This record gives sequence, C-alpha cells and structure tokens, in this order.
Amino acid sequence: MNTKITFLTQLQILTKRLILRVVRRPLAELPNIFISAFFLFVYDGALGGVFGGSAAGTPFDFANGNFVNFILPVSIVSASVSGGASGIYLVEDIESGVFKRYQSMPISKWAIILAPMLVGALRVLIQASLIMIIGKIIGADPAVGSIGFLMVLSIAFLWGMGFAGYSVAAGVRSGSSQGAQAASFLFFPALFLAPTFVPREALRGWLSTASAYNPTTYVIEAMRAIMVEGWLNDVIFKGYLAAGTFAILTLTFAVLSARKATEKA
Amino acid sequence: MLAVEVKNIKKTFQSKQATVEAVKDVSFEVRKGEIFGLLGPNGAGKSTTILMLTTLLQVTGGSAKILGYDVSSQDKLVREKIGVALQDTGIDNLLTARELFFTTARLWGYSKEDSINRTNELLELVGLTEASERRVKTYSGGMKRRLDLGLSLVHSPEVLFLDEPTTGLDPGSRRVLWEEIKRLRDGGVTVILTTQYLEEADELADRIAIIDNGLVVAEGTSDELKASIGGDVITFAFDSDSDLKLALNVITEGVQDKNLIRITVEDGARKIPQYVNQLTEKNIEISSVSASKPTLDDVFLKVTGYRLEGSDNKETNVEKVED
Ligand SMILES: Nc1ncnc2c1ncn2[C@@H]1O[C@H](COP(=O)(O)OP(=O)(O)OP(=O)(O)O)[C@@H](O)[C@H]1O
Ligand SMILES: [Mg+2]
Repeated sequence: MNTKITFLTQLQILTKRLILRVVRRPLAELPNIFISAFFLFVYDGALGGVFGGSAAGTPFDFANGNFVNFILPVSIVSASVSGGASGIYLVEDIESGVFKRYQSMPISKWAIILAPMLVGALRVLIQASLIMIIGKIIGADPAVGSIGFLMVLSIAFLWGMGFAGYSVAAGVRSGSSQGAQAASFLFFPALFLAPTFVPREALRGWLSTASAYNPTTYVIEAMRAIMVEGWLNDVIFKGYLAAGTFAILTLTFAVLSARKATEKA
Repeated sequence: MLAVEVKNIKKTFQSKQATVEAVKDVSFEVRKGEIFGLLGPNGAGKSTTILMLTTLLQVTGGSAKILGYDVSSQDKLVREKIGVALQDTGIDNLLTARELFFTTARLWGYSKEDSINRTNELLELVGLTEASERRVKTYSGGMKRRLDLGLSLVHSPEVLFLDEPTTGLDPGSRRVLWEEIKRLRDGGVTVILTTQYLEEADELADRIAIIDNGLVVAEGTSDELKASIGGDVITFAFDSDSDLKLALNVITEGVQDKNLIRITVEDGARKIPQYVNQLTEKNIEISSVSASKPTLDDVFLKVTGYRLEGSDNKETNVEKVED
C-alpha cells in the first residue's frame, strides 16, 4: 500500500510530469531555439565576411579569423534564456489549479517549486547544446580546445538558471503566465546592451557605460575568451562569477517569492 | 468520533481595497459515513469553508477538526486523511487520464506496480477506461468532473470534500455522479459536498446545512428542515399584476414569488376555501391554487428571505424577493 515517499522521489515524479508537458508541446520549444540559431546564421552571414578571415592584419581582426567562434556566445546566451520557461511552467500550474491540488496533498512545497526550475535547467542544457552543435558544424573551434564547449555550456547553464529563478519570481509575483512571459523580455536589452557584435573597446558613449554594468557583458566576454582567445583566466573567472551571482540572486529571490505564494492566505 | 467538527469557523479576507467577511460564523458536525451537504447561493462562503477545512486557507477564527485532527495545527495529518476536489478543477489538460492517475498514485506513495493497478481500478470506477489514453483537453465537462472525483480518491481517503461536484453538468451526468457519491458513502467514506442545487441537497445529502452570507442559517436532514416550516404550503397563482397586489393585502402573511403568493399554514387543504372566499369577495381573480408539503425550496425561502433558483439557471442563482 502507500507509504511515505522521499523528497527526491516527489521531485522526480513532479519533474517527469513537467517534462511530459514539455514534450506534448514541442512547438513551444521552437521560437527560442529558432531565434538563437537565426542569430548565429544571420550574424555570421552578415558580419562574418568583414570580421572573419579577411579581417586578418586589419584593426578589425578581433575574431582571430573565425567569426563563428566570436558570435557563437551571443547565440548561446540567447538559447540559455529558455530557462525562463520555469516561471511559466509554475504559473500555468497555479492558474490551472494543479498547484492547489498538490498543496492539498502531503507533498513538499519545495518539490513543487523546484521541479519547474529543474525542467528549465534541462531546457537550457538542451537548447544550448543544440546551438553548440550547429556552431561546431559551421566551424566553431574553441581556442582552449574541445573542453571549451563544456565550459561555455556550464556558463550558459548558470546563466539559464539565473533566468529560471528570475522568471519564477516574476511569475509568482505577477500571478500570471503572461507576467512570467513578459518578464523574459528583459533578455533583449540584456543581450544587446552588451558587446554583442564587437568587443567592448569598440563600443562608444552610453552603450559602453551601460555594457559595463550589464552582467551579460561578462558572460559573453568569458565565452569569447574560451572560444577566441584562449586561457584568459581572469576574464573567464569574471564570466562564471557574473553568471553564478546572477543565478544565486535570482534563485534566492524566487524561493522567497514562492514561499510567500505558497503561504496560506 | 466525528468525521468533521466545525466550531464557529471564520474567514476574513483583508486587502488594501477592502475587507471581506467571507465566512462569518459557521458550525456543523458531520458523522462518519454520511453525506453532508452545504447548500447556498453564489458567494455564500461554501468554497471558503471547504478551503479552510482542507487546510488550503488559514482560519481567521474558530476551529475545525477532521477525524480529530485540527486543520490549523495538524494540517499534515489532515491532508493524509482527506480527498479534495475543488471547484476550479485542477487538472492538467496536456496529460491523459491514465498519466494523471498514475502520477497522483505515485505522489501518494504507491509503488510503480501498485500505481498501475490503482490507476486501472479508478479508471474503471469513474468510467474513463475507454478514454484513458486521450488527453484530458478532449474530455467533456462531465468526464472532467468524474476524473476530478477519481483523482481525489486515489489514496482511499476517509473523508472526501467535493466543492460543487455537479455544477454545469446535464441532469444525466449529474445522476451518474450522484450514484457514484452514494456508492462511496455506502463504502464508508464520509462526504462533504457543496451545492447550489436544492434537489441535489435533497436527493443526495443525508444532512444539510444551509449557508447564506457566511452564516449557517439552518441545519438538519431534509425532512427535519421541511418539518421545521410546520404545516403545508398553499400557492396561489394570479394572471394579472393588479390582482396579485390586491391579494397581497388580503393574504397579509403571504410571500410573493413572481406571479405567485405562498403561505405556510397548518392543514393547508382545509384552509383553501376560506382564502378563496376572502379573495373572491374582493373580486380578485385567482388563476390557480394548490396545497403541498413544504419543499427544501420553501425552507430556503423561509430562512434566507429569498429563493434559490432552479438548477437550470447558472447565471443568477439568487433572486431577491421584493419586500
Ligand atoms: N481570496 C479572496 N479575497 C477576497 N474575497 C474573497 C476571496 N475568496 C472569496 N472571497 C469572497 O468571499 C465570499 C464567499 O466566496 P466563496 O467562494 O466562498 O463563495 P461560494 O459560496 O463558494 O460561491 P460560489 O457558489 O459562487 O462558488 C464572496 O463574496 C467572495 O467574493
Ligand atoms: Mg464556491
């Protein structure tokens, strides 16, 4: 008969259920992966000719002859925004009443909150890996060697978890899935108020200032160091630090918000 | 021991805009193995009461015990004992009924194998075996309600809370669900259900509490409630408004309901001629008159001052009687 199950089993069952939901809606996965891949192709097509191999010996040779290496981090960062789905998953369950049903059962509320975050994380890993594979096919080749792919993926993962936490907090606080969805548009300014197309030294005026305060800058720079330059340890470290700090901050924020939301009225 | 013991329970919602006393003072007791009906119009406080009893809402005042466990201080124990089907069905539309039962059984701690068996049992019980591989999105309203009921039964709860289990169902589907609920009761489950349908309370509930405006205004078996009115109900019908108005002056204790006037008296049938004489003396034309035993409808009218409208009307269930 029924016995008490552990927290981990609960988490596993709830995560499986969410994955089933994701699989049932494959089209929902397309926009973000499409935009990310689109960035890669379009920017490489448009700018690769100028800043790629033919830039060798000119002041524009910041891509070290391989513009795919230079632009891939932008696509990866864009792909990692898919972690923002976590908030949407959670709020959908709140809106449909599924959340209430779970609350009426002896299930840990942490398992209920953590499951969508895990699925968001999984989504980031899959989308970022896909972009990475596309990048490799069209010529990406990390300066630090193949381990660079894993390093970039791990930064993307932290960054994606940051978005997952942010979206959960935004979703729970706004109480609607539109709220969670709208909040994920933050990624636009975050992505473009950064050294997206050229190195930071080439940015001018306010954009240069804004990008210095934008954590995305350090994430992209770290990935670029890995892809283009090689072992620039302090730059790489700053990227991990920026992504890690962002993740810790937003996850804390998410947990606090979710705790408030699960408190009885 | 009582299955449910509610003592002066109270819920006040406080927000910046307003303070709402959703439940002002509700007390009732439910014995083990009975169906208890909370009958009341929209906004009466039924759902709020259910949410407090199922530990989903903090109690503002008073106390409630389920099988002896306090809903505030022993909420975990309460949750293990109860099954809940809320008014806003919490069903995952993207999954199939089979997947939902399986997931729920696993969450209740059944092993994979037991979960599969339990799933099959419950699918059979609520008549969804054939549709079990279909996504819930494609289910009819009645099927969703049955699924919802089934999901609340996965762990064989001793006490079952159903918030408006049949709202929005056609009469046939409603009967199917009634039979289901009675079978559960006969199997020993205590059922607390809310309804805004008089005939549902009448037909299904062993005992009824009428709740209005956050207060219990009457409680008892359907027969007790009807008997509490005392006597019979005489109903006069009138074709013209002017006759109706004049008649109200004659039958001063009468209560108007559309083109009808009702009056509750002892020995109704025998008193009809006397009233008819009085009315015809004043040249008031009566289109029909009848005497009947009081219905739950009459009880409702007496304790709340207005009539709860028939089950086919979902838009406005409450009709205020002008006084
Ligand atoms: N979270 C809330 N905040 C403020 N007011 C609330 C809240 N929930 C319910 N109310 C109010 O409390 C009152 C009772 O609501 P409740 O949902 O318990 O009624 P009900 O009897 O279930 O009605 P229905 O038949 O429409 O389901 C209503 O006036 C409602 O507006
Ligand atoms: Mg209700």
